[in-house]
Amino acid sequence: MSEFFSMGGYGRYLWPAFVLGFGIVVLNLVLALSSLSSAKQDARRRMEMSK
Amino acid sequence: MATWTWFHRLASPPHVYAFARRWTPWFGGFAALAMIVALYGGLVLAPPDYQQKDAFRMVYVHAPTAWLSLMIYTTMAIAAAVGLIWRMKVAHAAAAACAPIGAWFTVAALGTGMLWGKPMWGAYWVWDPRLTAELVLLFLYFGYMGLRAGIEDPAKADKASAVLAVVGVINVPIIKFSVEWWNSLHQTPTVMQMGKPKMDGDMLWPLLLMFVGFALYFITVLLIRLRAELLRRERNASWIREVVA
Repeated sequence: MSEFFSMGGYGRYLWPAFVLGFGIVVLNLVLALSSLSSAKQDARRRMEMSK
Repeated sequence: MATWTWFHRLASPPHVYAFARRWTPWFGGFAALAMIVALYGGLVLAPPDYQQKDAFRMVYVHAPTAWLSLMIYTTMAIAAAVGLIWRMKVAHAAAAACAPIGAWFTVAALGTGMLWGKPMWGAYWVWDPRLTAELVLLFLYFGYMGLRAGIEDPAKADKASAVLAVVGVINVPIIKFSVEWWNSLHQTPTVMQMGKPKMDGDMLWPLLLMFVGFALYFITVLLIRLRAELLRRERNASWIREVVA
């Protein structure tokens, strides 16, 4: 197992790169979902106001 | 006539919204599945490279993010051009939805590239043609978003930012072919080249699957952001009531 994590000594570059790359994958999904939910809330608020 | 029906639907915000809502979970589900299998294939099953040893595994995160940074820009420029030519609001909304995703993936490509450069070249950064052009790509995304944010009238913001997006697309082939046109430190393409890829099958399939996963993932995030854009732009339209009620 520790052999897997050391990646022949390249683990100290490899793992941060994977965390960065896939961290940005997760982050973009979260940012998009939060943008959608805030747009929905705005639309609902406008509906309430126009009633 | 039939050919024009889909085109008109594509231009209709409620249709596009409903399509996006319906298909997002499918694209997202298959994207996650592809990425997980590709990660296992790339990190566990693929053998180490004869030259780069285990450092070659960087390719499974660096190549897909770098490829996406270019694909998203191209998508953005095409959407912007469609918006300019046919005055299609949905196309402008799609272009605007692309920009933040593309900027983040340019950051991912640059960051993972630096972490690959250090052990292979001995430096995190060199002013190499490809690296420099990729940095220019990041500034193009920033410029596009800044321009949109700076113009209050949405129609004017759409037009001005679309012109920038279309002009900036010249940078995409420059990045793609930089390693062949100039003496670059960056390695030349291993997969995306004419003829047979220079990579063993055990290493290749996880990479190709990762590309598929990232493409599906981009569609997923784009559809979500497009819905948000449409809700904000069409704020006074009657269909909004039905979808948020």
